This record gives sequence, C-alpha cells and structure tokens, in this order.
Amino acid sequence: MKGDKIIFFQIIIILLLICLFGFLINNLIINLIRTDLGFNFSWLLKPASFALAEHALPYSPSDSYAWALLIGWLNSLKVIFVSLFLSTILGIIIGLSRTGNNVLLKIISSFYITIIRQTPLLLQLMFWYFVGFLGLKNNFINFTNLLKINNQGIEFLGLSLTSEFSALIIGLSVFTSAFIAEVIRGGIISVPKGQWESFRSLGLSERNGLIRVIIPQALPAIIPGLTSQYLNLAKNSTLAIAIGYSDIYAINDTIINQTGRAIECFIILLLTFLILNLLITNLMETINKFINKKNFLY
Amino acid sequence: MHTKKIKKYIKKIREILFFNSLNNFLTILLIFTIFLLSLQSFSWFIFNSKWSVVTTNIPLFAFGTFPESQRWRPITWIISLLLISVLSIIPPKWKWLRKNLLIAWIGMIPLGIFLLYGGLGLQSVMSRNFGGLTLTILLTICSSIFALPIGIGLAFCRQSSLFVVKKLSSIYIDSMRAVPLIAVLFFGQLLIPLFLPLGLEIDRVWRAIFAFTLFVSAYIAEDIRGGLQAIPNTQIESAKSLGLNQLQIIRFILIPQSLQIALPALTNQAIGLFQNTSLMSILGLVELLGIGRSILANPKFIGQYIEVYIWLASVYWIICTILALMAKYLEKRLKIA
Amino acid sequence: MNTIIKVKNISKSYSRGLLALDNVSLKVNQGKVLVIMGPSGSGKSTLIRTFNGLETFDAGEIDILGIKINSNYDERRIQKIRKRVGMVFQQFNLFPHLSILDNITLAPLNVQKRTRIDAEEFGMYLLNQMGISMHAGKYPSQLSGGEQQRVAIARALALKPELLLFDEPTSALDPERINEVLDVMRKLAQDGMTMVVVTHEINFAKDVSDQILFMDSGKVIETSTPDIFFSNAKHERSRKFLNQLDK
Repeated sequence: MKGDKIIFFQIIIILLLICLFGFLINNLIINLIRTDLGFNFSWLLKPASFALAEHALPYSPSDSYAWALLIGWLNSLKVIFVSLFLSTILGIIIGLSRTGNNVLLKIISSFYITIIRQTPLLLQLMFWYFVGFLGLKNNFINFTNLLKINNQGIEFLGLSLTSEFSALIIGLSVFTSAFIAEVIRGGIISVPKGQWESFRSLGLSERNGLIRVIIPQALPAIIPGLTSQYLNLAKNSTLAIAIGYSDIYAINDTIINQTGRAIECFIILLLTFLILNLLITNLMETINKFINKKNFLY
Repeated sequence: MHTKKIKKYIKKIREILFFNSLNNFLTILLIFTIFLLSLQSFSWFIFNSKWSVVTTNIPLFAFGTFPESQRWRPITWIISLLLISVLSIIPPKWKWLRKNLLIAWIGMIPLGIFLLYGGLGLQSVMSRNFGGLTLTILLTICSSIFALPIGIGLAFCRQSSLFVVKKLSSIYIDSMRAVPLIAVLFFGQLLIPLFLPLGLEIDRVWRAIFAFTLFVSAYIAEDIRGGLQAIPNTQIESAKSLGLNQLQIIRFILIPQSLQIALPALTNQAIGLFQNTSLMSILGLVELLGIGRSILANPKFIGQYIEVYIWLASVYWIICTILALMAKYLEKRLKIA
Repeated sequence: MNTIIKVKNISKSYSRGLLALDNVSLKVNQGKVLVIMGPSGSGKSTLIRTFNGLETFDAGEIDILGIKINSNYDERRIQKIRKRVGMVFQQFNLFPHLSILDNITLAPLNVQKRTRIDAEEFGMYLLNQMGISMHAGKYPSQLSGGEQQRVAIARALALKPELLLFDEPTSALDPERINEVLDVMRKLAQDGMTMVVVTHEINFAKDVSDQILFMDSGKVIETSTPDIFFSNAKHERSRKFLNQLDK
C-alpha cells in the first residue's frame, strides 16, 4: 500500500471504533438514566454499613465505602505477598525434587504437579476451606498454646490467622507452587549438560555446583516465567470471594450489590489491577537487572 | 542365581534412593509419611465414606436439570465432539474428510445449539436447564472455537506495520492480560446488558461464552505471536521467491507453522479454559462445580464435602489429562511432519 | 539472442556508509550460465537477491525478462518477476509443515492457479527427474541435505521459470552430498536453462559456466570466461582468491 492509502485506512479504523464505542456508551447512558443511577463517584464517601471480619487498619461499618475499598486492597496485598513468598519456596523445593536424583522424590513431585495443575483452582480453594479448615475439630492441633490449628484458623505465637485467610494462602501457594516448580525445572533443563559434567570434573560438590554454576545460568530463563506466575497469582487471588475472604474483588462485589454502582466499581477494579501489575512487573524487572548486573551468586 | 538377582536389585535401589545421608533420611521419612497417609485414607474410604451423594446424582453432574426424556441430545453432541477430536488427532485416510475437519469443528457450534436449545422439531429447552458437564463442555468448546481465530487475528495485528492497528491490538491484549478472569466474567454477566440497546437481551450462557472469548483470545494472541517470532525469516523469503503474495504467505506458511510451534502453549490455554469455566459457579451458572455446590447445599447431603470434591477433582483431572495426552500425541505426529 | 538480465550501475549502502554493492553492472543472455565468485562478504549474495526483489538497492536499474525495477520498490513488478524466476537457497528453506509434493505444488496451485491433478503430475515428473520421487509423501525433516536441496530445485522449477537463481546451493551440504546437487544443475544447464549461480565450486564453474563474475567488497573486479579466469586472471585480487581456494 502507498503512504496516503495507509493513513486513510487507519483513519477509517479509528472512525469505525469511535462509532462502535459511541453506540455502546449511548446505550449505557440511556440505561443509566432509565435506572436512575447516573455515573458519579460521590457515593464513595457515604458510610459502607457492612462489617468486615478481616481488616489490617481500624474499620467499622460507619466508615466510608472508600475506606472499605482500601481495606480490601490491603487484604488483597496481604494474601498476594504472603502466597508469593510461600509458593516460591514450595515451588523451588518441588522443582529441585523433580530434577534431582532421588527417584521417590521425583515420583511424588510429578504426582503433586499433575494433581494440582489438572484440577481447577476454585475447587482446590473450596477443598482447603470447607474440608481443610471448617472440617477440623475444635482442638485439631494444640501445641502448648504456641501453635493452634483448628476450625477457627491458625494461631502461631500470638499471631492469629482466620480460617479464610489460611485456606486462601495455602490454596494459592500450593496451586502456584506447581507452576513455579515447572518454571524452575525448565530453567535447570535449559542449562546444557556439559555444564554439569564440567563442574563435576572440577571436583565441585553437587550442591556447590548447583548453586555456583547451574542456577546462575538458569536464572535468565527462570525470571520471566516466575514473573508471569506471580502475575497469575495476583489475578487468581480474586477467587477469595468463593470462600468469603474480603479481598478487593469481594468488597467491590458487596458494594455493587448494595448500591448498584456496577460501572464505577468495575473501573475501580480495573485500575487496582493495572497498578498491581505495574508493581509486580517493576519489582521483577528490578530483580532481573540486579541479577544481570551483579551476578551476585558468583 | 536368585541371590545374584536380589543383590542386583538392592544395588539398584541404593543407587536411586539411598545414595547419601540426606537422601537416606528423606526416603525413609517419605516412605513413613506415605504409609501413614495411605492407611488413613484407606480406612476413611472403607469405613467413613458415603458415595451415594455421587452415585444418586450422576445425571445432575452430567446434564444439570436437562429434561430426562431429552438427555440423548447432549449425549449425541458430546459423542460427536469426541469423534471429531479423535479424527483430528489420528488422521483418517480419506483426504476429503481431512480437508473438511475445520468445517466440521466450526459446525459443532450450530449442532450444539440445535441439540441443546431445540427448535426445528425438537422440544425446546431453556438455557437455565443446562448444567453439569454438558454446560462445562459447551462453554469450553464454543469459547475456544471463537477465541482461536480472533487470537490469530490479534497476533497478526500486533505485528502489523500499521501504527494504529498495532497500538490498538497491543492495548487490547495487554489490558486483557492484566485483569483477573473473574472481573471479565463479571463484566459479561452484569455489565454487558447495560451496553446493549433496550429490548436486546443475550442469554446468560452466551454472555459467559462472550466473556471467555474476550479473555482467552488475548492469551492465544500472545502464544501465536511467540510462534510467529520463532519462524525464521528465510521461510518468508523462500515463499516470496515463489511468487506467493502476502495473504498467501500468511495463510499457507505463517498460520500453520505458528500454530504448530504454539501447540503446547495452546493446549495449556485449552486446559486452563476448561478448568476456569468453574468460575461461572460463583456467577450463577450451574456447570460441573456449580452442580457440586448446589448438591452440597442440599440438607440431604450436608457435610459430604470430601466425596463430592474428590469426585469433581477426578472428573476434571481425567478430562484435562486426556486433553494433555492427546496434544502430546499430536505434537509428536507433527514433529515427524 | 535475448538478454534475460541487464543490470545497470546498481549500488546499495548499508548504514554507516558501507557499500554492499558498488556500481555493479552485468548482462546475462538466454541459455547462459553466470557464476558469481568472491570472498565472503563481497556482496555476491546481496547482488543475486536483488534480482528477485528480496533485497532493495539505492541507485541504478535492473531489467529482468523485460521488467524494469529500480530503487523505488515496486511490489507489483517484483511480484511479476518472482512468478517467472526461480530461486534456490543455501539452507534449502523447504516448508517443514508440508510434504515434499505439497512443497512443490504450493506455488503452482496458488500462484498460477493450476488444477491439482495438473500440478501434482508435473510435481511428480520433476521429482522423477531429480531421482527422488519415492520421497514424495515424506516431510523435509526426513530427508538428507542433498535430497532436500534437490526438492528445493524441483520446487523452483515447478513454476516453469525462465531464469534460475542459486545462492550458494552446496555450501550447507556434507562433502559427499555435493555432487548429487551439482549433477542436477549441470543437467539443467545442458537443457538450456538460464542460470545465475553464487558458488565456491571451482570445477562446476569451469565446466558449466559461460561467464565468471568476480566480486570483492561490493565491486565487480573482473568479468571473463572461465578459461581465462582460472588460467590467467587479470586481477591481483582474483589470483589471490583462487590461490586461497586451491589450498
């Protein structure tokens, strides 16, 4: 195509899109006027008047919707970062077991991975919540009051976690760890076999060789995979609503049910996740740069 | 003779299980744990489990509340789906059938709609009576058949030299991938009606399919783009030197090769989609997991979580594993090709 | 006699002012074989790739089969040229997802819109000529390099081209496989096909070519008949190059 033809074609596309969006937004306006809702954010300052079991900052039902949303946002962050940490550790252990020499460990870890990956996360979360916690007796584990696990949740050294939070963390961590394990395994496999042979021939122990030779070379292949798993984890944390944990999505859902402000809440939700994505991607990019620059493991 | 064999086995076991002190400890610990766990689950299985919650509800799990006399319709549809999948993976000798497989796959959607909704001589069934595995499969099949061509189109648009086309598709793909699926499904269920003109209504099942298609096509687009980037430039050059034009190069060289390269990733998308249809149980459709939830809410079966969850997990696991195995086989066959 | 290729003063520069082609002119008549030789990086691949528009150039004019192209990349004209000119690459570049026969019939079916029966019949005839008709149903990865290159030649011939371009057709082959490809090329030359061949194969150049073009750093250093070039090259650089090849 010639230059002016290309520009003409692109202008047509833009015009068509404007028409489509105009049509949709026109419908939306008509529908909002018809239902007497309109579009504004002033309701954010009205009292939320619903209770939240879980809040990192002080909260009461007389606080505003905006405050409730902030609490939900903090609840989400709490779940995401704790699960991120746990799933990474679990994933590394399982990934290494899968590439290691112990055959029993290999079998168990591949069994773990297939079970976790081939069943829906939502089902797993319900399992952890309804069977894993609510199914427990009152005094399932009570270890001299230091560690208590029962149908109320987990209490550890005075730190008490609700059963919803615990089930969500365990479910998300277990699910994500199976994917992280595969990322780790892929990274280790990507290192050529000659590298293993050469560190062995230098007399390095298996552990030293793994830490000083193999993992530094596997990291460039691992980091992007890890990033996308962390992003998935963040998105998956919205399934909290299924087991009654009040994360950002669940609170948006409650507000929509109370006020009918579906469009506004949806916009808030999208913005939240845009920010969250940027946060995680930037964090991982920093880590990636750090690794590439300093080769800190050498 | 026998002692020699036994010695050989012992040596082998030592090599793979007890080769240093850490592994000695790990192996013994694992064997002990596995033993305890299997003992526990075995005794639960024999003495405490009550499987009637599953066995009496099999029709519900399979068809939802589809009228009993009409159950042959979803069965026919699912069998024809199975048949055509097998034909796609093990290619038949007849060339005409191989050429028309694509059309047959697309034809599965109208066939499904006809068989499930009825009309044209069949008793009509409301979509609120769809449920169970039938609904799960309907959601998965329709969304993936719609999402694949859209995803391919988006991938090419993102590689386009036209600035506007490239930017718009990038924005679409990136923002879809940033948002949780449940938000998109929520959009499909609650917000789409707000964007439609008065009087125009879309069935809930189709709103779900629409939302899944929007979501999955963005992921497929990225997988295809990965495949496109893996095709060496020399392939395009040799196609050009044969006089093929741009559209022909896309159709005969780029699409088939990128699909082949992206096949493992696309399989994961399909498996993910199949599992993710379970999210609709939160948004009011009674697909497989939704049926499980509504059965558990029935006072007659109260508290029998473990049986229902094990049953559901096995169904999902078996279907996903079969999908994965079929894709592996197809991959192998294409590698020779 | 018809002139098939007429190149007039073409030049091409890379970024940083390096010249890939420096004022190159040449002429090839119908039924003749032109061999282009030169050290790597001398611009011979770039030159042959300008003939069917895989490479653009900045100045000058090329006339292929009466179709003129210049620095304005006119896609329609290039498309016309490509339909009448075949090309064989160093790395074969067969389509891995298509069977051997489908590789050959792809262009006849879709570019020339021939019927399937017609295209397949001619494809089988070509494979027969190449001595590989037994592989028609196989896929490229199942064939040896020499066989793949013969398929690539058959694929180029399937459009019944009036000119064939060979870009180092034997460089990626195992030494014991080279002759099976060269033999096919010899036969094509005997049958009167007009060919341009970039190659390092001295014996092939001696036996088959009508004209040798020696290039270095984008320039044509000399053009002569094979007899003169190999026994009594005019230029210092040509002699140096030949000496190195002999070693």
